[in-house]
Amino acid sequence: MPMARASTTNDVFNAIGEPKRRAILEQLVVQQMTVGELVDAMEWPQPTVSKHLKVLREVNLVAETRVGRFHYYRVKPDELRPVQEWIHQFEKYWGGALEQLDSYLIDIQNNGEKSD
Amino acid sequence: MTSKSIEPSVIVCEFDAPRELVFDAWTQVEHLNNWMFPMPGCQCEFVSADIKAGGTSLHKLIMPNGSEMWLFTRYEEVSAPEKLVFLQYMSNEAGDILPHTHMPGWPKDMVATLHFESLSDTKTKITFYWEPRNPTDEELAVFEASRADHHKGWGAGMDQLVAYLAGTN
Repeated sequence: MPMARASTTNDVFNAIGEPKRRAILEQLVVQQMTVGELVDAMEWPQPTVSKHLKVLREVNLVAETRVGRFHYYRVKPDELRPVQEWIHQFEKYWGGALEQLDSYLIDIQNNGEKSD
Repeated sequence: MTSKSIEPSVIVCEFDAPRELVFDAWTQVEHLNNWMFPMPGCQCEFVSADIKAGGTSLHKLIMPNGSEMWLFTRYEEVSAPEKLVFLQYMSNEAGDILPHTHMPGWPKDMVATLHFESLSDTKTKITFYWEPRNPTDEELAVFEASRADHHKGWGAGMDQLVAYLAGTN
């Protein structure tokens, strides 16, 4: 049994494991937004948006910038890189490659195999 | 020898091609350069390839936005046309394996095991297993966590994230 969990890494995975939080990240990737703008965009109650934003801030995936009396939230790209590496992993990477292989094999058989 | 129970991730897929050809596609550079990338619009260039048991290869992926990624592969078993076992790492252009600095708990060694099965003269099934080798408890926990996410799926929004992240490299 794991004695001590890898808090940072697991926390990021836990954070993005929740579909609502992924949806928020997807919104904030496009542009920074206030809580009010997120509420409008997602059509969720404000407490729901705030709750998930809090988790995303705690794992450092989202940062807050204050402009006047508005608080803008944005994605922190450095912290999302682990996620990018994760995407590189199995199903995205190899699943994608196997699709390429499939069309390549069809191509070369239709066009006749390369002559050696 | 620790015996942790690891359940590998698995992809099963079928190809309309004879088994020998499918296997060659995995082990011959003139084939590999044409397909071994995760999405259309990428380019693949093997700069070295000694694809046999105990051998290694180094290749470069050029993503659609021009960013490059180097991958170093160590082959453990190359049994034509049935089985292929390798470990693949993100590396630099010299083939030095890069640490997972942004992903501290991710297993250092991931093993890919491919079984090639002939279904007919023109149909081949690949069963592709992917699992950490000798993971620490922490690495195993992270592998499990990432896999749980695989099954939830990210949908189309994920592609946007990937494009965004690639642009910030």
